[in-house]
Amino acid sequence: MIEYVIMIIAVLGAVLALLQRDLLKAAILTGVPGAAIAALYQILLAPDVALTQAIVGSAIIPVFFALAVYRTMRMEEE
Amino acid sequence: MLLSLQLASFFTAASLMVLGAVAVIFIDNLIKKVIALSFIADGVNLFLVTLGYREGGIVYIYLPGMSSAWFAQHASYPLPFALVLTSIVIGASTLAVMLGIIIILYQKHGTISASRVLED
Repeated sequence: MIEYVIMIIAVLGAVLALLQRDLLKAAILTGVPGAAIAALYQILLAPDVALTQAIVGSAIIPVFFALAVYRTMRMEEE
Repeated sequence: MLLSLQLASFFTAASLMVLGAVAVIFIDNLIKKVIALSFIADGVNLFLVTLGYREGGIVYIYLPGMSSAWFAQHASYPLPFALVLTSIVIGASTLAVMLGIIIILYQKHGTISASRVLED
């Protein structure tokens, strides 16, 4: 049962990240699908991929986006 | 449950890919385009990992006490996992290159909107 909840969290987090107007919020919300997919890899019998995805998807990629937002502009323009 | 775990996982991968493709085409902001590209990469990786899943199987680690015939029947298929392990890391580094190009475009044009960069 928990695996279906994790799949819904992954898709919902992706939708929410794309709907934000504040790019810093979008960058932080990018980590939600990454962490959910890491948990899904663990359920799909791939623990080594899950370890890599947990580090890269939920920590490194949001930090990259936050650094890019810091160097450019924070709000999305019309 | 109505769906098996493998089928539901395929649907998750497909919805991530479709969502990312739609966002890459229709959202104007360059950073959001890159976020959508990372979702497409996540969807493709999830699809490949789901291909190697086996219903009721075990993790592909050969422990003492297992017979090799039993292991071959029950272990999940490890080749897509090795591929995806490389693909995740390469995806993160190409993402960093894309964000660097966006920062240079911002310094040159003063905007991160794709249509305004193309107008200049």
